[in-house]
Order: sequence, then C-alpha cells, then structure tokens
Amino acid sequence: MSTVNNAPRKPSLLRMVFGSLSLSLGLAIIVVFFGGALISLIWTPFDVTSLDIPNKLKAPGFPNLMGTDHFGRDVFSMILVGARTSIAVAVVAVGIGMGLGVPLGLAAAVRPGSFMDEVIMRGNDLVFAFPALLIAIMITAVFGPGAINAIIAIGIFNIPVFARLSRGAALSLWTRDFVLSARVAGKGPLRISYEHILPNILNLLIVQGTIQFSLGILAEAGLSYVGLGAQPPIPSWGRMLAESQTMISFAPHLALFPGVAIVLTVLGLNLMGDGLRDILDPKIRRER
Amino acid sequence: MTLLSINKLDLSIHGIDILRDVSMSVEAGKVLGVIGESGSGKSMTANAVMQLLPNGAGCSGEIILEGQNMLDLHEGQMNGLRGKDMGMVFQEPMTALNPVQTIGDQVAETILIHKTAAKPEAMRIARDTLNRVGLPGEQFPMSRYPHELSGGQRQRVVIAMAIALKPKLLIADEPTTALDVTTQAQILRLLKRLIQEDDMGLILITHDLAVVSDMADDIVIMQNGVVVEQGPAATLYREMKHPYTKALFEASSHVPDRDYAEARGENTLLEVQNVVRDYPLPRTKLFAAPGHFRAVKDVSFVINRGESLGLVGESGCGKSTLTRALLGLEPVQSGEILFEGRPVVENGRVVSDLRRKMQVVFQDPYGSFNPRHKVSRLVAEPYHLLTNPPTGADRDRAIAEALDSVDMPVSAADKYIHEFSGGQRQRIAIARALIIRPELIILDEAVSALDVSVRAQVLDLLSDLSDRFGLTYLFISHDLSVVRAITDRVLVMKSGEIVERGATQDVFENPKHEYTKTLIDAAPQLPDVA
Repeated sequence: MSTVNNAPRKPSLLRMVFGSLSLSLGLAIIVVFFGGALISLIWTPFDVTSLDIPNKLKAPGFPNLMGTDHFGRDVFSMILVGARTSIAVAVVAVGIGMGLGVPLGLAAAVRPGSFMDEVIMRGNDLVFAFPALLIAIMITAVFGPGAINAIIAIGIFNIPVFARLSRGAALSLWTRDFVLSARVAGKGPLRISYEHILPNILNLLIVQGTIQFSLGILAEAGLSYVGLGAQPPIPSWGRMLAESQTMISFAPHLALFPGVAIVLTVLGLNLMGDGLRDILDPKIRRER
Repeated sequence: MTLLSINKLDLSIHGIDILRDVSMSVEAGKVLGVIGESGSGKSMTANAVMQLLPNGAGCSGEIILEGQNMLDLHEGQMNGLRGKDMGMVFQEPMTALNPVQTIGDQVAETILIHKTAAKPEAMRIARDTLNRVGLPGEQFPMSRYPHELSGGQRQRVVIAMAIALKPKLLIADEPTTALDVTTQAQILRLLKRLIQEDDMGLILITHDLAVVSDMADDIVIMQNGVVVEQGPAATLYREMKHPYTKALFEASSHVPDRDYAEARGENTLLEVQNVVRDYPLPRTKLFAAPGHFRAVKDVSFVINRGESLGLVGESGCGKSTLTRALLGLEPVQSGEILFEGRPVVENGRVVSDLRRKMQVVFQDPYGSFNPRHKVSRLVAEPYHLLTNPPTGADRDRAIAEALDSVDMPVSAADKYIHEFSGGQRQRIAIARALIIRPELIILDEAVSALDVSVRAQVLDLLSDLSDRFGLTYLFISHDLSVVRAITDRVLVMKSGEIVERGATQDVFENPKHEYTKTLIDAAPQLPDVA
C-alpha cells in the first residue's frame, strides 16, 4: 500500500451523507416515518379512538386515504399513530439492549475466562434460554399488560444479543498490537475499551442495531397480537396486522398498509445502517 | 529447452499500469529468481502466468508455456492447466490450507479435480507426495489436520499440493518469508531437490536477495512493474549494471553508522534476574491441578545505558513473552525485573514513572495502530503516562517534533493510518515511542516486515536517534543480519533459555553453542562481491 500524497480533500459530513445512496435513501424513509409519528402527536386526519361503524371497511380513496377498518377508523391515521408506538418500542428496546449489553460484553472481554466473564456470559445464557415471549408474559403477569412492559421485555431480550456480539468482536481486538501499545502507554481496561475497542466494533453494532430494531418492531407486533403489547384503543402496526388477519379476503388494504409500513421502516433502517457503517470507517470513507 | 517464456507482457488494472514490457523465461530444471520490493509487480507477474488476476485486469503480450499462449486460453482451459501443469506455493502457510480438511484430502484434491486417478489411487499418490516433501507416513498420517503441524510442516503440505501432479512449472511466491531461518533453509533445500528430481521449472519470487543467491540460475530484478535487470545469477551479481540492483544489494547488507556504546558494563539500566513465566495448560482431568508450560526459564541479563542489545531466537522460543514481562504486561512467576535498580512491578501494578521510560515498537506495521484514530492522536497516546500532558499548541508542537525526528512531514498528523506505507507506519510507531522521551525502546521484530531498502532507512534512523537522544535499545529479532548490523551485544534464546551471550562480533564469528552455529549456518548469505 502506498501513500496517497495528493489525496482529495476530505469531504464534508453533509457531502458524505448525500454522496452515499443507501444512506440518503434510508435516511429519507426514516425521516418520513419519524415525521409521521411526530405529526400524529398534534394532528391526525381522523380521530383513531372514535368508532364510525357506518363507514366501516371502506376501500382506499378520499377522504380516507388508506380506507377504514372494521370499526370505521381511518387506517392512515392509525398508521401514523401506530408509527409512534412501534418506533418508540423498538428504539427504547434497542437502547436498553445496547446500553446494557455492550458494556457487559466489553467488560467480559477484558479478561476472557475470568470470574467476571463467566458471570456475565452465563447470565446471558440464562436470558437467552427464555424466549422473549415468555419474558413478556412473565413481566405482564407481574405488572400488567401495556406498551411499557413490552418495551422492557424486548429490551431484556436484546441485552444478550449485544453482549455476545461485542464480547466476540472485542476478544479479537484485544489481541491486536495497538491495544498492546495502549497498555504500554499505561491505559487501563476501561479506557482501552472505550477508546480503542468500541470505535472498532461500532460498525458491527450499527448493523446489529438495525437488525434488532426491525426485530423489535416485529416483536412488538407479535406481543400486541397475543394481547401483551399496546392495549386497545392505542393502535400499533402489529395489532393492525393481527386484526386484519380474519378480513384479508375482503379487505386486503387492512393488512397491506401496516405491512408495507413495517417493511419500509426495516428497509430504511437497514439502508441507513449500511451507509452509516461506511462513512464511519475512515478507510472506506477516503476511498469512495 | 525453454519451458515458459513471457514476452512483452503489459498488465493494467482498472486503467492503472501495473506491468510494462515484462519479458522473462524459465527453463526446465532451472530456477528463475524474481526479485523486487513490495509494489514492484513480481507477484502480479506470477498471477498473470496463472491467469489469477483481479477483476478489471487487462493483459497484452505473450505468456507461452510449452507452445501454448496462456492469454489465448479461456477460463475452463486454464483450470485444466492450473495444478496440473502449473503449481503454486504461497507465502502464508497458516492461511493457505483449509483448517477443516485433513492434509491427505487436500493433497489428493488436486489429483481428483484433474481426474487423473480414482480416489484410492489419488490417496496413494498423495501419500507418496507427502513422503517426498519430507512428511513420512509414520509421523504424519494423512488424517492430520493443518493445526497439528508447525509452519514449516504446513509449507511442506502446500508444496505437496503444488507438486502432486508433477507440474512442469512451479511458482513459489515468497515461500519462506513467514518462516524461521532454519526452517527456511530446509524448505529451500527441499524445493531445490524437487525441481531436480522432476525436472520442473521454478519461479522463485522474493524480496530477499540472499534467499535466491544460492538457489537461482537466472535472476530478474523488478522495480515499479518494469524489469530493470536480468541475466544469469553469477554474472548479474558480478556486474550489477543497473543502479537499482546495486541499491538493493547494498540495502540488504546495510550496516548503519553508529557510535558504539563506550561505557559498557558500568551503567546498568535494566536488570533481569532469574525471570520465570509459566502459562497454565488447559485442564485435562477434572480434579487434577492443570499443568504449566514454562515459556521463559530462569532468564537473567542486563541492559546497559546507551547500548543496543540483541535478542535472537526462533518463533516460540519465548522472546515475545519475555518482552511483555519486561513491559509489565504479563506477570512473572518468579524473579525480578529492575529498572534503574527499582522493581518495575510493585503490588501487581507497573510503577508509572518507570513505565514512561520504556516504550515499544511492534512488528506488524498494519496491526499496531487503531485504524479509527488520526496520526496525531496515535502518536500522542503515551502522553497518558504523564500527569501533566501538554495541551493545545504545546501538544501540537510536540507531535510535530516527534514526527519530524523520524523524518515524517508534519502534515501526517491529520491523516489516518491506512494512508501510509509499511515503512512510514513503522516511522510513526517510532515517533509514538519517542514522544515521551523514554530511556529504553524495545523493538520487537520492528523491521522484519519491511522491504530491504525501507529496512535500511529505518535502521539508519534508529541508530541516528540513539546517538541524538542517548536511547537504549533491546532489539528482538529472528533476522541475524539485522541483529548483526545494529547491536553491541547479543543474547541467543532457545526454548525459554538464553543459550549464548556476548559481544555481537564475537558471537557471530565464534559461536560456542550448537544452536547458535545452526542459526548462523542456516541464514542465507549474499555472495561476496568486491
């Protein structure tokens, strides 16, 4: 590898974001859904809690852009409000998973095979052994059903995923010479984990984060489906899907719109994750 | 008879010229040495012969193997030739074998692919081939897996795979660069024997002039994708018409000018007393205590202020473990390490003002930097050891000074590490070690991964720095010529023990221990040219 003496000037952050097709596309999709969720806080075309039985099961058109459901509620409004629930659940759940899982994984990787490593990783196995649904049922049994408890359940399920991933990636980084030279510079494990390990596993975490985010939306849908997630009348994409199931033959739009919303959000997140990973890597950044 | 001839080969990849007007030829039973530094196009020439080129590559010219132009053949026809008429041996024996297949299967694979024999017959040929490369059946059954073999043994398996079908042409791309000197000598002898037995042509690609000097019949010297000189080995070494050849030759036997340490044996900087380092082995029985592997056995030595001490040994002899123990990165089971008369480790922690007096430069210029940080931050990392590190403009000035002392431009501070070549990275590593003005720098194979000319420059830099800043070096290496060039005293280490010690000249001219003699004999020598 030779030096690039006359390397082009470093592009600005804004330029890099828009220079990457996947990042700008992903970002655009996410902005639309987040924007929708935010707007729904102050205004929706129709009230999603009031029933309008005479207008039930209308096909998409005007004024109900995406039609109405079996209670006559406006699907478009429900999608907007549902985005709030779904996104909030997924963001907070991934936040819990990353916030607790990554530090645990990094701590475990400091001295593999040590007592701390064993405690953390066996604890992880314990959580892994329970399906998310079981944890959710457990939590609901104790605290009652609701969106908050669904968030906690999905978040707990995310912890071992991130702990495992960051431990595995960190282990191989700990054997690298640059970590050794940081130790020669007198840096302790905490500092090395933060300064040297974390930036180098960030790309993995971002990719896994987007995957977990999509899984979080699906998990919330699943929990709402069995009645453990967001409680009626608060709409969520998952419950909209679940309720549309029996009417799929004569009102397919009821399943189509929340389904498309979930797919688009997940796609947008994955695209964004890919793009972010690329611009965070100084090597790829310069070569593009 | 000419086996392979390359005529006026041009190669470009994505529009960038890699090779220009390259011509060379190999005869059956002869060895062609292709010499060049990284980026000279020597490996690309080999890949062009095998037609194993990256996407976007365009070739013109002729590559003729026994009357057939490789460039006219399509991929299917090439697959018929690869492995059958042309074999290839790669540099890295650790990655050239599939870790989940037995060595017998891997050698037999080549035979089965070319359908020259059925499975039982293929296994028999594989067994014979393994015997031929010096892996006899009693010790090395074909059911062995690569991880059960040493680096040299794996390289023998790779060679067996390449020669299983008795190809006419064998290409060896840096086959011994990753190996110890004694293993290197054995592998070179093996290659020489095999090409004589099978009447093969061998293209031996290397950056090390000494390796080819007693192997090659003809030599080609390449620089920046162009052949600068070629001819029969004896004539080429005698005449050396091209300045680049001369420069290469001088670089590989380069001895930097340095002031030899005068006050020897009077001013002790670091003292190592009876150090022992054990590694626990994995438990084999549930209730029995796990065993130990003793990596460093009762080692004692002294480094004097201002001197350069060499530590020579092959991989696995414990020299890296010893380095880590010196730096306090690993605990020792017994013995003491004293720096200026004070123990380096107290209560399980390294004394911080002693730690800042010792810095280290590692072997791998690609792995010793965090790829996510800029050079300024990388170089300033040891500032962590100071209670009052300089900030703002002072910090920038110190970084600039450190970079300047290793002849790097100040503008390097704002770049990321992947923008630099291996030699430049090693300079930055030295700058990082220098920034807090240490007394002792441990150089762990610091020049082993570099090209000869870059190596010569870095050695010059090191000796210059030691004169300027009164630095003391502990120079750890398996490369005897480097150790000989730059050290005052030398320690020879084998299986965790120091078997010989003394002034560098004495040890090299008058080795006492059997192992030292073996090492010196195995090291490839440049031919003597006045």
